[in-house]
Amino acid sequence: MHKFLALLILSLVVGCNNSQNLDNTNYDEPALPESGGALTNAMIGEPNNLIAMIAGDSASSAIAGQIFNSLLKYDENLGFEGDLADSWTISDDYKKITFNLKQDIKWADDEPFTCEDVLFTWKKVTDPDTRTPYGSDYQLVSSASCANNHIFIAEYDEPYAPALETWASLHILPEHLLKDENVNDTYFSLNPIGSNYYALDEWTTGQQVKLKTNPNSVHGRPLLEKKITRIIPDLSSQFMELIAGNIDLMNINPIQYSRVFPSRSELNDKVNLYKEMGNGYTYFGFNLKKKPFDDLNIRKAISYAINKEEIINGVLLGLGEEITSPYKPGTYWENKTINKISFDVSKSRELLEKSGYELNANNIYEKDGKPLAFEILTNQNKQREMTAVLIQRRLQDIGIDVSIRVIEWASFVNRFIKTGEFEAVVLGWSLSLDPDQYSIWHSSQQGPGQFNFIGYNNPRVDKLLEDGRKELNNEKRKQIYDEFSKIIYDEQPIIYLYAGYGLTAIHKKIKGVKKITPPAGVFHNEYEWYIPKKFRRNEMSL
Amino acid sequence: MLNYLIKRILWMIPMLIGISLISFFIMHLAPGDITSNESAFNPKASEESRQKLRELYNLDKPIIVQYGLWLKRIVQLDFGSSFASHQRPVLWEKKDENGNIKPGLIQKALPITLLINLLTILLIFSISILLGTIAAIKKNKIPDRVITLFVFVGFAIPGFWLALILMYSLGVVNQVLPISGLHSIGYEQMSKLGQILDLLKHLALPVFISCLSGLAGISLYVRNGMIEILNQDFIKTARAKGLYEKKVIFVHTLKNALLPLITILGLSIPGLIGGSVIAESIFAIPGMGKLFYDAVLMRDFPVVMGILTIGSILTLLGNLIADLAYAWADPRIRRGLAK
Repeated sequence: MHKFLALLILSLVVGCNNSQNLDNTNYDEPALPESGGALTNAMIGEPNNLIAMIAGDSASSAIAGQIFNSLLKYDENLGFEGDLADSWTISDDYKKITFNLKQDIKWADDEPFTCEDVLFTWKKVTDPDTRTPYGSDYQLVSSASCANNHIFIAEYDEPYAPALETWASLHILPEHLLKDENVNDTYFSLNPIGSNYYALDEWTTGQQVKLKTNPNSVHGRPLLEKKITRIIPDLSSQFMELIAGNIDLMNINPIQYSRVFPSRSELNDKVNLYKEMGNGYTYFGFNLKKKPFDDLNIRKAISYAINKEEIINGVLLGLGEEITSPYKPGTYWENKTINKISFDVSKSRELLEKSGYELNANNIYEKDGKPLAFEILTNQNKQREMTAVLIQRRLQDIGIDVSIRVIEWASFVNRFIKTGEFEAVVLGWSLSLDPDQYSIWHSSQQGPGQFNFIGYNNPRVDKLLEDGRKELNNEKRKQIYDEFSKIIYDEQPIIYLYAGYGLTAIHKKIKGVKKITPPAGVFHNEYEWYIPKKFRRNEMSL
Repeated sequence: MLNYLIKRILWMIPMLIGISLISFFIMHLAPGDITSNESAFNPKASEESRQKLRELYNLDKPIIVQYGLWLKRIVQLDFGSSFASHQRPVLWEKKDENGNIKPGLIQKALPITLLINLLTILLIFSISILLGTIAAIKKNKIPDRVITLFVFVGFAIPGFWLALILMYSLGVVNQVLPISGLHSIGYEQMSKLGQILDLLKHLALPVFISCLSGLAGISLYVRNGMIEILNQDFIKTARAKGLYEKKVIFVHTLKNALLPLITILGLSIPGLIGGSVIAESIFAIPGMGKLFYDAVLMRDFPVVMGILTIGSILTLLGNLIADLAYAWADPRIRRGLAK
């Protein structure tokens, strides 16, 4: 018993002691690139299935993306460049894309890569028996064929502008290994053979996925010999592993970024922080089919009453940006000419009164005896919950009675979103790289389970979205989507709240990380990263 | 005795059907199914493809039909495959025609959970019996007070908080123990002994944390049981006839005080396969708790039902074993059964 008490007391005392383990290595010392070494990172979830078209979870695509190539990929400025294709041409009527594939390349098992592999992959992704949620984009291809071993041709009945993007997100699978397999439950999904920088070395279920360099890699050998991804569901545990030096890299949250790191200089000697625009935005959306949200004045009044800056500071500690169009700030498709609606209580009151609302004895706006009250729905997501609370507070101030309801995801989607039984939501969408927003905003996409669940319906927007899909000239396309963004912002069917930054902490022993993060993100030049020998972890000693 | 046993075992069959029926319906009453999670909000994924998936898994059929299909499989001891896209078998590994093995979900998660829980129960019982005995002998004196305080503090401390503090102090500041996971990097190259040591090091914190909250209940059981028996006449007799105090305490008193623990031990058998979601997440241990929790959130019905079925079988067996063990240990009950 005494021992236990002693241990308890001892550990509590030690816990309060802030002295770090002595690590006097100067990681800032410059070093020349050398290959070898292992990078260890952490993920919160385990990949399901390394055939990305079947898997659908982000952990799977992150790992599969290191093993497989697509025909195209994004360059550092988010333009397209060849991946398995060397070059590509689009016919004048925009209906035919011809890909010239790289020649003399091999799969990791030394079999040659040919056009047949691409054709096979296309057949699989469009096959009704394949359990993929992503087939619809590829079903638009009316005919796909191989002119010879290294020319792949995709033809469309109508021009389809997002086509190039779809070819940049389809991992090409090896036909020779999968032609006799059922792609839905093949063992290949746990033990894939690809063509990219890395190949699967070992997968310990529930614990870690180990990758090693693929000697046949299409783009040559990366400098890092091995990549180990540990599965650690808890972010605080990941963070402790990072500061103990057991993992080299992780995504961190705003508190860690702007509170923990600045206050602890010894961490900054070991770890570099990177900030880049994230991949999604959070919005406040209305059910437009319900009163009073069909009234533009009410939507605008609410928009004026919400202080977006306060939300960014409160929820993200300032680590985010306001947006006015559903595209990444700073990228080509963003409409930079839109004037922001900023926090203005008097304007908000003015608009409410214009719609016939008056303050009642309880300081709540009402019209025809009905107070202006509604419920904000959101799922169990800390940032969204905090956002909802800040919105509630501001709307309360102005005289709108708001309650908040937080619900588990599956119930949220099925009981409320699919049935349309909600008034307002705090939710997020991704900031897509292609400007097409058809599935979110077109009036035809309002059925149960479809994504225009807020019920937005504007014939002009429908027309723009249809035209935008057919226009492959970037300048003309930009005009279309600029107008689209402007209409959406003017009508405020959703209130854009913020787009948060992606925050990454990378140990300083990893060299070659770009100081200024390119638009494509900090991981874009991962194959150039290296760990100098003197900084490498002695794997046996751990 | 044999009749009693057969009756008990036969009774388990309708019980199991009842349990599975209720859990199946409750699970399906929750809104949503597997398709509402995997890519539910990806604008690139279409509703038609989700509908296709629903049909494939018979999720579009009435619940009672789905239950019938499930029951038909389960009586052949086929727990099916997960709905998640890895399609791994729920219970045990399956070999495909090329000889590749897909490991089973429960098969992978169960051993580690069992190991942790067995170690925990072993520690809880041995420490509690020790603490309870000391507390009973030194009733209302300082050692008793200290022990009571300690076990209650241990019971009241939030496990996740203490876990993080210990991880920080023993894993980061003083790198004595690993922070999370089950194996160190380079585990494969270690010797057999090194591997066992490595595993034990990784399990030290999780086992300690889950022990701490269990001490209070058991040690108080032992303490109060001991005190009650120490006041009985036969102990007085034992002391009066001049037995050593050691013998009085450990043979006459402790043996009788431990009887109720048999029931508790029996009832903790089903708990052996359950893990704590919070502890498993913090320590990154791929055990049963996280498997079950994730399956519920994903509405992965085959996995949920698989774990519930095994859990209910173990509960019923645990009850039976507890009763039998009690009869074995306590002659009064044994004679009652024989009648």
